[in-house]
Amino acid sequence: MGAGSGAGLGARMGVELVAGIAAGSLIGFGLDSWLGTKPWLMVVFFFLGAAASVVNMYRAVQGLDESVGLGQAARRKHQQMPRDDNKA
Amino acid sequence: MANPVEQFKIEPLIPLDIGGVDISFTNSSLYMVVTVVLTTLFLTLSVKGRALVPGRWQSMAELLYEFVANMIRDNVGSEGRKYFPFIFSLFMFVLFGNMIGMVPYTFTYTSHIIVTFGLAIVIFVGVTIIGFARHGTHYLRMFFPHGAPWPTAFILVPIELISYCSRPFSLAIRLFANMTVGHIILKVMGGFVVALGVFGILPMAFLGGVTVLEFGIALLQAYVFTVLTCIYLHDAIHMH
Repeated sequence: MGAGSGAGLGARMGVELVAGIAAGSLIGFGLDSWLGTKPWLMVVFFFLGAAASVVNMYRAVQGLDESVGLGQAARRKHQQMPRDDNKA
Repeated sequence: MANPVEQFKIEPLIPLDIGGVDISFTNSSLYMVVTVVLTTLFLTLSVKGRALVPGRWQSMAELLYEFVANMIRDNVGSEGRKYFPFIFSLFMFVLFGNMIGMVPYTFTYTSHIIVTFGLAIVIFVGVTIIGFARHGTHYLRMFFPHGAPWPTAFILVPIELISYCSRPFSLAIRLFANMTVGHIILKVMGGFVVALGVFGILPMAFLGGVTVLEFGIALLQAYVFTVLTCIYLHDAIHMH
């Protein structure tokens, strides 16, 4: 279950999948109760949450950092790569 | 065989009810108090001597201090120094909670999702406030990547926003799941040792290995929780 191992990555995937969907659904539910549009916003945000969790899983698999923004994270990784090669 | 999830049961020790809200002092609260008292005693007593050449206890305290200080310097940068007290307290609270939970017959408060979620939501709200205080409304800019065509904003911004909001969940579930799973495995294996009689020696050997692994996980999860806090803080301070 440690970071870096296969089991660690697997556990991470499960957590990310649950976390994204939970966050999306909760936001949708909150907006629904506030605006009185049950259940439509929850449906929309459930799928957005699922998309967000897949994005987070993709980032974890690719070994990108945990900061905001997929595009920036990918660019940062590419920038760091040559530097790491020089060091090695 | 003993019920493997019985160890997570919350029992009120001093029942308290104020305005219909149950705020009883439970076994969970007791172990949190024990953790805070132990941490405070450990840190104050070990550095009381203020020796130039540290003794055994002082080395341990200095080791933990430097570990967290280096973690902040590497992940947040020099500007993160003023958040050291919070991050150090957080690290010690989670670490001691995990470690005290490894002592038989104790209660592990980090195996309750509401405790870890409470910690995570404080971090999340704090980091968001720091981000907005430092960058104002510019902080919202990071949800949209530079150079992407503007029509993609309708789909990218909500996804990035939810990804951002899923942070406290991810942080809370990781710590809670690791601690709960570990303790259940220990309990189930312990049950096998008793139930199998002479052949209980096999699960007993396995149990020895798992216990060592559990200590590793207790340490590692405290580290992961703190290092993720540092990364989130770095995001709020520097904002790419």
